[in-house]
Amino acid sequence: MSALQWVFIIASLITVGAAVMMVASHRMMHAALWLAVALLGVAVIFVTLEASFFAVVQLLVYIGAILILIVFAIMLTQRSTEAGSRLNSLAWGAAGVAGVIWTALTYVFIRWVVSGTPMQELGASFDDVVLLGKALVDAEGFAVPFEVASVLLLAALIGAVYIAFERKGEGS
Amino acid sequence: MPLMYYLGLSAFMFTIGILGVLLRRNPLVVFMALELMFNAANLAFVAFAAFHKVLDGEIFVFFVITTAAAEVAIGLALIIAIFRTKHSVDIDQMSELKG
Amino acid sequence: MVASTLPVEYIRALLPEIGLLVLAGLVLGLDLFSSEVSRQRWLGWVVAAGSLGIAGLSLAFAYPVASPRLLWGGALRLDEVGFVFRMLFLAGVGLTALFAMQVKDLAGKGEFFALLLFSALGFSLMASAADMVMLFLAIETASIPLYVLAGFYLRDIRSAEAGLKYVLFGAVASATLLYGLSLLYGMGGTTRLYDLEAALRQAQAPLEMVAVALFLVLVGFGFKVAAVPFHFWAPDVYEGAPTPVTGYLSTASKAAGFAVLLRFLIGVFAEQTAFWTLLIGILATASMLVGNYLALVQSNAKRLLAYSSIAQAGYILIGVAAGTPLGATGAVYYLIAYLVTNLAAFGILTVVEQVLGSSDLKALEGLQQRSAPLALAMLAALLSLGGIPPFAGFIAKLLVFGSAVEAGQIWLAFVGVFNSIIALYYYLVVLRTIYRFTPGVEPISEIKPAWRLALGICVVGIVLIGVWIAPWYSWAGSVARVLWVY
Repeated sequence: MSALQWVFIIASLITVGAAVMMVASHRMMHAALWLAVALLGVAVIFVTLEASFFAVVQLLVYIGAILILIVFAIMLTQRSTEAGSRLNSLAWGAAGVAGVIWTALTYVFIRWVVSGTPMQELGASFDDVVLLGKALVDAEGFAVPFEVASVLLLAALIGAVYIAFERKGEGS
Repeated sequence: MPLMYYLGLSAFMFTIGILGVLLRRNPLVVFMALELMFNAANLAFVAFAAFHKVLDGEIFVFFVITTAAAEVAIGLALIIAIFRTKHSVDIDQMSELKG
Repeated sequence: MVASTLPVEYIRALLPEIGLLVLAGLVLGLDLFSSEVSRQRWLGWVVAAGSLGIAGLSLAFAYPVASPRLLWGGALRLDEVGFVFRMLFLAGVGLTALFAMQVKDLAGKGEFFALLLFSALGFSLMASAADMVMLFLAIETASIPLYVLAGFYLRDIRSAEAGLKYVLFGAVASATLLYGLSLLYGMGGTTRLYDLEAALRQAQAPLEMVAVALFLVLVGFGFKVAAVPFHFWAPDVYEGAPTPVTGYLSTASKAAGFAVLLRFLIGVFAEQTAFWTLLIGILATASMLVGNYLALVQSNAKRLLAYSSIAQAGYILIGVAAGTPLGATGAVYYLIAYLVTNLAAFGILTVVEQVLGSSDLKALEGLQQRSAPLALAMLAALLSLGGIPPFAGFIAKLLVFGSAVEAGQIWLAFVGVFNSIIALYYYLVVLRTIYRFTPGVEPISEIKPAWRLALGICVVGIVLIGVWIAPWYSWAGSVARVLWVY
């Protein structure tokens, strides 16, 4: 086995374990930390797929921003942490749904002939940030989605500011 | 390495995410499980992009990360707004809207 | 040198979106630089007039004349689907703004109208998106403002919780949709919807995998249109959200969901038509049964209309399930009729709620004595929802049931007719509440001009769409026609 395969196997085992622990852990702060480990594992797997740019974005946005936000929210609402351990009353139904989905997905992936063949080397030209950047501003590429993403962020910004400020007068 | 390895991992993460969403009652934990689901899809996209050697999949991931951040920001803002009124954010305790 | 190489077609394809963005900017600017009193008075009119203006501009410059064209590198398609649905969304935004501008807690809020416009921009892009990346972003752009709008009364815990529930369910639905899209991309190797069908065929994508992708995608779209079994969020969110927002959610949001559903099923899954028509037929049946039976036992008018709107999604799904141009025509016609009808119903509830402070069915008691025109408008809306001629809902139901018969799905038409009769029962119960003589009710002193205008437009629309069929039918027909043009 090559070094790359070892890296993949270790990273995916860590990711899987952390994901399971995240869902199973009773304390919310622990769950958040397990999520961080899982996201880190995904970042490593992005590297094995020669998508180092996305590995960095994963670190910066998911762990650096989203997870920090979640941790802040946990700390702000800490009095309800004890309630975090409670499970849905329909736990068996949930497990059943998840089981069916997992079986279906795994079945179709195994049946898909293409997925068994080894992937070829991508070469240096593939993971090119310049190509990516050009595609984002190209009118024949993804210029419209790129602009729409800015509208989306603006809308989210306005919404979040409204939610935060609307309640300010009531706080005391 | 076969594509299958990546897809298997992605399918597993997606399932664990769904399990977390369905099982756990605290909206913050539900959000964390949701991040797992989005990450599973991202992983699949990057793997497929590498497989097809087409950049589109990676660009999709770029936008997914953007929207996930926006969605979480709104969700957490609402959670904190509710907590300030009720001092509880358990989904089961959202009794005002049941029936 | 981008400007010199950008064809004018590219701008035309985005004209309504650019207009909505400019209008949202204008609203935010006015919010900053004008006094509370003038905001209360004018913001709603600005939004309503602006959306009318954008509709006029689109009619003049963005009307798709030639055959459908893929623009912006295939991200958008300039065709009748996008055009007709955009008109629907603009009408929805304008009327919602008129209803909201007399609601005390919404009228002076620039954020409210800006978010409303942003979500309309998202809907508008959903209807014309021809690329999975574009589609996903459009759905999110439409959803994120709606999450905030549903929770807009932050001091009212029911509204805030409605917002949170909507975010949670919405995010799960979009994550599931995204996973489905990733499978499609994995099989086809492209994100362009109109290349995907050929790519799937060429790659000999295994049938089971396509089916799994179809399931996952349907979860996402089923959530948007509030079809059973993806409807759990709808009653709570509809009840908790501010009433004008509920009206907007139940009409524009549903229409946008159906626009993408139709484009996706017909465009991408053409090979699997037999499979998805069956699936959609099951969803339609479940939606009608669950929606109507649960509507029977409701005591809150908003909740009742929420369950009724789940059932209405079922009727529209009958048209989709037919999988024929007539079915699609029926579905689009139904959406046009449903927009004015349901906006009228929720508009009247907005008025009642503002005056009496309650949205219980009890609050509707003796509405006829309070205000005869309001009661008459409610009569038109409820009978149209029930599918009684000469109102809009009748023709719409006729078309979707007819398409089911034409497609050989007589059982579906039968279930639809059976459910329409059940639904008529609870609509009539509400009408009896309104028209029964109730001692000691006071007349509503004044119905604000904006409300009068909006309700007037809705009622005229309900009657017009039910009587003068040709123009709406030809619009709906043109949508159905281009759906099958790849």
